[in-house]
Amino acid sequence: MAEDRERVVLALAAHRRRRTAQAVLIHAALIAACLICIYPLLRMISVSLRPGDRLISTDLSLIPAGATAASYLNVFKQTNFLLWLWNSLVITCVTSFIGVSLAATGGYAFSRFKFPGHKLGLTLLLGTQMIPAGMLLLPLFLMIMRLGLINTYLGMIVAYSVTSLPFSIWILKGYYDTIPRSLEEAALVDGTSRFGAFYRIVLPLSTPALSIAFLFNFTQAWNEYLVARVVLCDAQRYTWTLGLFELQGQYLTQWGMFAAGSFMVTVPVLLIFLYSSKWLISGLTLGGVKG
Amino acid sequence: MASVTLSRISKRYQEATVLREISLEIADREFMILVGPSGCGKSTLLRMIAGLEDITEGEILIDGKIVNHLAPRDREIAMVFQDYALYPHMTVAENMSFGLRLRSVAKSEIDRRVEEAAGILQIKNLLKRTPRQLSGGQRQRVAIGRAIVRKPKAFLFDEPLSNLDAKLREEMRIEIAKLHQRLGATIIYVTHDQVEAMTLGSRMAVMNGGIIQQVGTPAEAFSRPANHFVAGFIGSPTMNFIAGALEGGTFKSPDLGFPLPGARAAGPVILGVRPEGICVDKSDGASLSEPVPAVIEVVELLGYKRNLYLKAGDKRLLATVDASFGGKPGDTVSMRFQIAGIHLFDQETKARIG
Amino acid sequence: MLTSLLQVLEFVAWLAAAVAVLEIYLHIHFTYFDRPWFVPATVVAAPVLAALAGHSLAAGSLSSLASAAAAVQLVSALVFRHVVRGKHSLPIMLLAPGFIGLGLLIAYPLAFEVYLAFHDLKLTTIMAWSRTGHIPFVGFKHFVNVFTSSPLSSVTFWQLFGRTIWWTFINVFCHVTGGFILALLLNSCRRFRGLYRTFLVIPWAMPQVVAILALRGEFQSQYGFINIMLGRFGVAPVQWLTQHALLTCTLINVWLGIPFMMVIILGGLQSISKHYYDAAAIDGASAWQQLRHITLPLLRPVLGPAVTLGTVWTFNNINVIYLVTGQAGGTEDADILVSALYKAAFTFYRYSYSAALALVIFGILFAFALLWLQFSKGSESVYG
Repeated sequence: MAEDRERVVLALAAHRRRRTAQAVLIHAALIAACLICIYPLLRMISVSLRPGDRLISTDLSLIPAGATAASYLNVFKQTNFLLWLWNSLVITCVTSFIGVSLAATGGYAFSRFKFPGHKLGLTLLLGTQMIPAGMLLLPLFLMIMRLGLINTYLGMIVAYSVTSLPFSIWILKGYYDTIPRSLEEAALVDGTSRFGAFYRIVLPLSTPALSIAFLFNFTQAWNEYLVARVVLCDAQRYTWTLGLFELQGQYLTQWGMFAAGSFMVTVPVLLIFLYSSKWLISGLTLGGVKG
Repeated sequence: MASVTLSRISKRYQEATVLREISLEIADREFMILVGPSGCGKSTLLRMIAGLEDITEGEILIDGKIVNHLAPRDREIAMVFQDYALYPHMTVAENMSFGLRLRSVAKSEIDRRVEEAAGILQIKNLLKRTPRQLSGGQRQRVAIGRAIVRKPKAFLFDEPLSNLDAKLREEMRIEIAKLHQRLGATIIYVTHDQVEAMTLGSRMAVMNGGIIQQVGTPAEAFSRPANHFVAGFIGSPTMNFIAGALEGGTFKSPDLGFPLPGARAAGPVILGVRPEGICVDKSDGASLSEPVPAVIEVVELLGYKRNLYLKAGDKRLLATVDASFGGKPGDTVSMRFQIAGIHLFDQETKARIG
Repeated sequence: MLTSLLQVLEFVAWLAAAVAVLEIYLHIHFTYFDRPWFVPATVVAAPVLAALAGHSLAAGSLSSLASAAAAVQLVSALVFRHVVRGKHSLPIMLLAPGFIGLGLLIAYPLAFEVYLAFHDLKLTTIMAWSRTGHIPFVGFKHFVNVFTSSPLSSVTFWQLFGRTIWWTFINVFCHVTGGFILALLLNSCRRFRGLYRTFLVIPWAMPQVVAILALRGEFQSQYGFINIMLGRFGVAPVQWLTQHALLTCTLINVWLGIPFMMVIILGGLQSISKHYYDAAAIDGASAWQQLRHITLPLLRPVLGPAVTLGTVWTFNNINVIYLVTGQAGGTEDADILVSALYKAAFTFYRYSYSAALALVIFGILFAFALLWLQFSKGSESVYG
């Protein structure tokens, strides 16, 4: 009897050791992966903190000797960083606003109504996702040029407005599908018009999806480079992507300023991303229905 | 309050006909129940009265006016939905006053009506809460309150109790019955639960397959079912059915037979008898048939009654007897049917014969 | 700064007005189509409104504008009266602005691109086009050129095609494998899972421009992290950006793309009920067998769309390659079809040629899509 008990105890201990070893390996692998993922960001911070006389060096230390915030100040003083951010902000906000408005109503139409061309419309929307970026850009660029909108906010807004529309419609349609129709029917019986049911009941309940669509539109336009490079040529009109690209030339790289500028732009984008993924997970529980 | 008349209503979805020539008169202040199994068309009919579904053929009149072409909000009806459909982003008070606010009713009037309805339904303490903070039964009351406040011509209830647990369902059933008495309202109530149908309505329409099978009081539907379907649908436990034939005053089926005096019909019939109408190993005063032998398969104790699952030949029957009955599985017993409780249905048309 | 902001606000106001006009137009056509005066009234109103809108044009073009408006309105009124008959009014009114926008900004450019491909628009003809709107017609010449001459200076179409296939395959393979491994690791650890996930998602969350340029900096032969580390192990500095451009781009893209796959696969893993694994463990399956027979099959519905999307995005990915090699003096050795397209159009100004190339690339994608649909339909019938 005692031998049996001893055997069990030993087996349990060995099992636990194996489990722990497994866990250690898993965590080690994950930590290694995390390091690979954030290392470029860490390097960016360290380069941005380098003192002026040692901007270009082979030093790998994370916090360089004589760390200063000079590069950060230089970004604002020696470049049009704020102007770039402003340009990006204007273009992005207008584009997102247009995109979300059109998607809010369009997604509702696809969600609640069966009309001829319903399926075709959805397939077409999906199909536009497959068009290579450059393919649409070329004729769009020529059209914008013809209209004299090169190098203007309008040209950029025109180019951006429609690229996120299909995906936004898809997101909002998916969200509307989860709102029970009985809510709109109750509103119809209570006394709203068909559109009123949408406007007074469905729309207020869709704020999570609208926020996601807005954030998605926003980040797409905010981070965009290729279209901006084609449409904007005046340095006064540059978005921050174009501006930053200027700072890292093939032969001359303003390492310090580039790193500082990059870091300053990256942090808000990262925060927005992390914040919006929380929305995605939580969602809204509709207590008005059986729950 | 008003009367509701359905005149030859039909509904077709592409090829499928969901409702066939339904005609029904619901009088002012009547509590009419539409009952039937899932898919029989009762909810569709209710939604057509509300204006949420198009009418393919026929006319609906509310208070004598044809309303076919009117939008839901112009029909002056109120509806309580199966999933309550409370607006999640509004408080209880706002939910209840929504319809009145849309019609620009004076604020003092709105407040008065909301207080009144909340008092009737005992939800005064919930007025500031949102639906998310309420239990199922409370949400149910708010949904009803929202309907009351509108003072509509008719109330439409779409299976309101099916999402509640059994105990709550009983409570709410009584509440709704009291509500009807108190408000004197015209109510059209849809359910698939025949217990609700029997207990709540003053009249009920049993539906199946898009047709009204029988219209009448619950007592009528129970004691004189118009056809085989109604007989099997109403009453719990379900009626026993034995297919056989009547020849010369005797009922014969492959598994059992007994004389049936006074039966005028002849030919293939379905004989129906409720479990309460089968007496086992007894012959008390009530006029009973000749004994038929059967074997007990399973015995269930239900408190003051027992369910006996009997087998005669190859036919299984259910009889309900007193709890004092002492039979065990495997015993042979003799069944006697109460003559008055026997229903005969034509095997072809399924209609009632006698 | 302020004037351009006002310009933008003015644009938004004009846009709102245009949408309002559209909705009013649709409302009239949905509500009054039955009236006897409907067709004549609107056909008379249209040219009047068109003339008012174009009042600044010359008299000759004004009259042709008016008659065009009348003709279009006649067709429209008849369609609304006899075909539409007021049905589906709300969905059409809700969708109209969006789809008209899509039509103007996607359908029209595509049509224009086809037009371009058959004409000759390049640096030398573009001035004439700006003035007159005319470009010479050249038939299939550009299509022939796409296959025979180089889009850029030396690389051929077939090289680009082969490289694109290779690039897509390697990237998607690495993305899925890497994402799968990371997802498995994440799924099996309990503590700090959220923290790990946050860090591992950073390559995807960062703005692509920043990430690519930063990584490109690390591959720089003198001061980049990679060569510095290699130097510590005694390896001579490697000319990543000039000699191994495609490899560099692939490494960067893999770094960028794994988190997305990881998130998707993790979601799929977490949706597999633990009961399956419990049952398998009781049945005696090893961890590897469980992976093969439970995890992988149950992940198929999640993996399918993810891999398809990932493939399309990788195939069409201009960002990485252009940002790494696109500047003046950059190499062509890393170009794939789409990046060559971008460069040909905007660095070499060969507009019509690029249009033809774009159509060819789209044709390839379309063919793949059809093949893929056939394939997935076929396998669906097997797996049910």
